[in-house]
Parts: sequence; structure tokens; C-alpha cells
Amino acid sequence: MNPAPVLEVRDLSIKFGDFTAVDNISFSVNRGEIFGFLGANGAGKTTTIRMLCGLLEPTSGSALVGGLGFEDGGKGIKKIVGYMSQKFTLYNDLTVGENLDFAAGLRKLEPAYAKKRRKELFELIGFARPLSTMVASLPGGVKQELALAAAMLHDPEIVFLDEPTSGVAPSSRARFWSLIRRITGLGKTVIVTTHYMDEAEQCGRIALMRTGRLIALDSPAELKRTAFPGPMAEIDFKGGDAAAFISGLAKAAGLLELSPHGMRWHAAFRDKAAMDAALSALPRSASAGLIQPSLEDVFIRLIEGAER
Amino acid sequence: MNRTLRAFIRKELIQTLRDVRMRALLFGAPIIQLTIFGFALSTEIKNIKLAAFSQPRDAMFGRVTEGFYASGWFARAGYTPGEDPFELIASGRADAVLIAPKEGLARSAERGDGKMQLLVDASNATKARAVEVYAKNIIAAAAAREYGARGEPALKFDVRVLYNPAMESSMFLVPGVMGMLVCLITIILTAMSLTREREMGTFETIVSAPLSNAEVLLGKTVPYIILGLADALLVVLAGYLIFGVPVRGPLWQLALAALALVVTTVSIGTFISTVAKNQQQAMLGGFMFLFPSILMSGIMYPVENMPKAVIAAAYLDPLMYFVRLIRSIMLKGGDAHVFWTNLGALALMALSAAGFAYKRFRQTLN
Repeated sequence: MNPAPVLEVRDLSIKFGDFTAVDNISFSVNRGEIFGFLGANGAGKTTTIRMLCGLLEPTSGSALVGGLGFEDGGKGIKKIVGYMSQKFTLYNDLTVGENLDFAAGLRKLEPAYAKKRRKELFELIGFARPLSTMVASLPGGVKQELALAAAMLHDPEIVFLDEPTSGVAPSSRARFWSLIRRITGLGKTVIVTTHYMDEAEQCGRIALMRTGRLIALDSPAELKRTAFPGPMAEIDFKGGDAAAFISGLAKAAGLLELSPHGMRWHAAFRDKAAMDAALSALPRSASAGLIQPSLEDVFIRLIEGAER
Repeated sequence: MNRTLRAFIRKELIQTLRDVRMRALLFGAPIIQLTIFGFALSTEIKNIKLAAFSQPRDAMFGRVTEGFYASGWFARAGYTPGEDPFELIASGRADAVLIAPKEGLARSAERGDGKMQLLVDASNATKARAVEVYAKNIIAAAAAREYGARGEPALKFDVRVLYNPAMESSMFLVPGVMGMLVCLITIILTAMSLTREREMGTFETIVSAPLSNAEVLLGKTVPYIILGLADALLVVLAGYLIFGVPVRGPLWQLALAALALVVTTVSIGTFISTVAKNQQQAMLGGFMFLFPSILMSGIMYPVENMPKAVIAAAYLDPLMYFVRLIRSIMLKGGDAHVFWTNLGALALMALSAAGFAYKRFRQTLN
């Protein structure tokens, strides 16, 4: 993998009037990486992506996309990136062929080249239906794969996917992610936003955003290690009364994080000694086991840390 | 042609023509509305119920009355000779009553005072005006028949209708309705298509392509200019086939006038789409423009009869210029002065509307 950055963002801010949508963020993305943006709605993920696609100009700071800036109003950037927006990007009332023809027309592709690319991309996404199929009649997962093909028709260096799997069945989500890995295998860079923690786990690196700021940026494993340097226990009260023990545990020395997960609780500690001490008073009916922190735990800890 | 523009035209035409409701709006609605407007008005004018009263039976009055019924505009009202003529009109059994002078029409005319009385139901002003005009023509024709070309002061009426009197009715209305329909369809279609694209999110894909603002705007409007022109052609054909409304002027005049109108209305539709948040708002916005513009255009009510302030506003109504143009071209053969002055005004409107729409459109892109 070539470690040269294809994307470099320095002290970037985007304001809409008085509202700061993106607040002074810096990061870079390497060629062939799967780079994920994680954060709640309104955290600034979509605004950042729209800017990197050449749709918005930064208010301050700089962004180089494939070495290109905004000198030409983003036109150069638009040529080398592909963008699949949050909403549906194909026309339901057109056929597969008509949709791809229009996508090719928008990019002024030669018909012969567009046809060749279409064949390659159909192979990549495993699409075998006739071109005359109405898009409205396709299942959700296939629609999204086709939308990705349309966004990649002009063979972009960098592909931006804004919540590509929202509203898609779980099995189709898995298929879509294996497709993303195949694309980076071809030397493309994929930048993706998601709400799903299991999807975030599959990213090379994750940028965690909150109210326009970048609050963490690392690989999933490193994020976990930094957020939870010590062990984490999952406590199951098996229907017994948890309130008394939990209120005591919350004051225990060396506790980093305590959060409910359905009927169970996750408790993270500074080190093993702190954990053993805190859990020694566990009621007999309850049980505790060591677990690996999930990205969700990381997310909760980092967001709460940022709020404190 | 630019490859992108071609792709846009194909896409928009396919989308519009594939949708059954759109097809109905584009091609069905104009024909139906044209037919309703045209026939509704022509039956109204044609079947005027007329009663005729004369105290002593009078041969000359009888011939004048027959002239009315033979004209095709008047029908015999159901009545018995002894009835009260005012009651006939009040009850709606007659639209007009013709009453002979007391001593008989012939004798009264000999004395130089051949005055018949015509009672007209003016609760429908359009109808009353038509009755008056028709009556004048028919009586003048009767006078010429009775007394020869020299005429008689007693039966002299001045004729106000310069062309075929029928021009006052369906001939007059059909070209105006054409303008109205083309205006309605292009504004609504353009505004809805752009708003739908924004609402669905597909607009995001269009602007993420390396296109200039002008390319995007042309791509979204040229297809509707084409559809608008096709619709204009359809309505002209339907007007000719259903009502026999001729195109007496040159076709190039008609084409230029239609082009100027459609560019204006498509630009207005584009402007509406930059203000509307969703398709419902776009539809309402379209009608907000359409209603006053149709009322002030002179299609149904003559502009000259309106208050001064409304006349001033009518000069900003593109439809008014188009109605003048199309009536002049289709019915009067396209007088050069009328054509160039009104086309000039309409073209100026088209250019400023397009410029304004482009400016608004560019602002809303970011």
C-alpha cells in the first residue's frame, strides 16, 4: 500500500452564517484506506464530506483532495471523486440502463468508455439483471450497489459514501462492505460515514465527530486501547436487584466507565487490581465476566468525556 | 449538442412521458380543457332564447324575427303571445325579447321612427353583449333587405364587429386558452421536476458532477421548453380540428411567439422551484402566479375594461402579450406591427426572467 496521503485537511472550518458546522479539523487519509466517520446526526460528517467532494468551499483552513484545492471552485475535485449522498441517488422511474446513461452524460463520458466501465462495474458488484429493469423494482441492497456503480462510472480515485447502508437489510449490509473492501483492493480510497458500530469496526481508521469537532481519530483497536487501558467486565444480575450494588460501584476507586447495556452493565477499570477490589462485593446471584470493549463503549466514553 | 444536455433531455423526457399522470396532464388535459372552454362558450352564444312580440300581426316584423332565428345564434323561446315579456326574462325562459312598435314596424318605419324594443337579460354580461352585437347585425341586414342598398334612417344600425362576428365567441377564446394551457403546464412541470429532484436527493448527484451552473440549469429547463413547444403545437392542431380555428398568419411567427412564452414560463417555474421547499409548495406557487396572470391576460375579460392599476399590472403579464400575439397571428393573419411590438416585449420578459431565474438558481446551489 502506498502511504502517500490522497487527502489532506488542515485547520478546516465551515460556517453557515453564525453556525459553525465544522470546527477546525485536521486529518489526512492514505491511498487505499477505508476511512470512517462516526458521529451523531448533525455532528458535521455530511458537511465535511460534501466539502471534500467539491460541493462546499471551506470557510477557513485548507483541504487538498488528490492534490487539488478549490482554486477552480471545486470542479477539479469533482472530476476525481465519486460521491454517493445520504439520500437515494438513482431515479426509481428510470431503468438501470437509463440511470447509468444519465450518470455517464453528467460526466460527459464517451459512450464506448461508459459501456466498458458499466461492464466492469456490473462484474464487480455481481449485477446480472437486464438493463431494462426498472430501478423501483430492485431490492434495497441491489439499489445501493447500483448507486455505488453509478458513482464510480468515471473511475474516481476517491469514493465518498454517506451512510450507504442506512435502511438496508443486514445481509445486504455485509455484502456492501465486502464490496467496499474489494474497491480499496483496486487501489481506490473509500471514505464512509455510518451509524452502525459493526461497520465502523471494519474501517482502517475512524474519525469520531461531535458538534463539528474531531474528538478522536485512530484504528478501532487503538481507539479501544486508548479509551480503556484496563480491563472491562460485563455484569449480569440475572434478574436480581442491581440498584444497591451499582450505586456503590459507581463510587469505586479506579472505575473508568459504567454504563447499562440492556439488562447488563459494562464496567471499565484502570487496572486489574481495581477491578478485583470493586467486584469482590458482587452479590452471589450475579455474575461478571471479562469482555473486550466494543466501539460502542468507546463511543459512549469519548462522547461523555467530550461533554464533561 | 453538449453530451450532458443530451443526457438531460433524454432523462427528463423519459421520466415525464413514462408517468401516466404526466402524460395525461401534458396531452389529455389541454384537449379536454380546450374542448370544454370552446364548446361551453359557443353553446352559450349560440342558443340565445329569443321571444318576439307584435301587437297587430306585422309581415315586416315577422321577416326580421325570422332573420334572427335563421342566423343560428338565436333559438325560439317557449312562450304564448299574451305573456308578460319581463316575466319571460325574469323566469329565464327567454334571454331576449324583441318587441315591435305599437302601430307595426312597417308603418312606424315609413314615418321615420322604426324603433323596435330589445329586452336583454344582462345577468350574463358576455351573453348580453353578444346579443346586442348580433341584433344590430341582423337588423341592419333586415333593413338592407327591406329598403335596398340606399338604406333608411329608421332602420339604420351601426355595426361594430369588424371581422366575422363569430370571432367574438369561440374563435376569440380558443387562442387565449391555448396560451393559458401552455403557460400552466410548463410552469407547473418545471417547478415540480426541479423540486422533486431536490426533495428526493438526486439533485445532490447532479451537482456533484463537474458541470457549470449554466449546464445544470439548461439541462433541467431545455427538456421542458421542448415539451412546452410540443404542447403548443398540439393545442393549435386541436383548435383547428375541433373548432376550425385557423392559423391565418405565418407559422414562424407562431413558433417565435410560443418560444418566447415558453422560455418565460419555464424560467418562472425555475424561480418558483428555488423558493418552494417541496412539490406541494411548488404547485401552489405555480397557481399563485397563474391565476392573476390568466385574469389579467385578456383571455376572458378585455384588459381595456379593467381599472387603471390592473391595466398597469397587466403590462407585466407575459400571457397578455402572448394572447395579443396569438390572436393577431391566428385570426387576423399576423400584422407586422402588432407582432414585433408584442414579441419584443415578450422576448424582453423571457430574457429577464431567464436571467433572474439563473441568478436565484446559482444562489441556491450552495
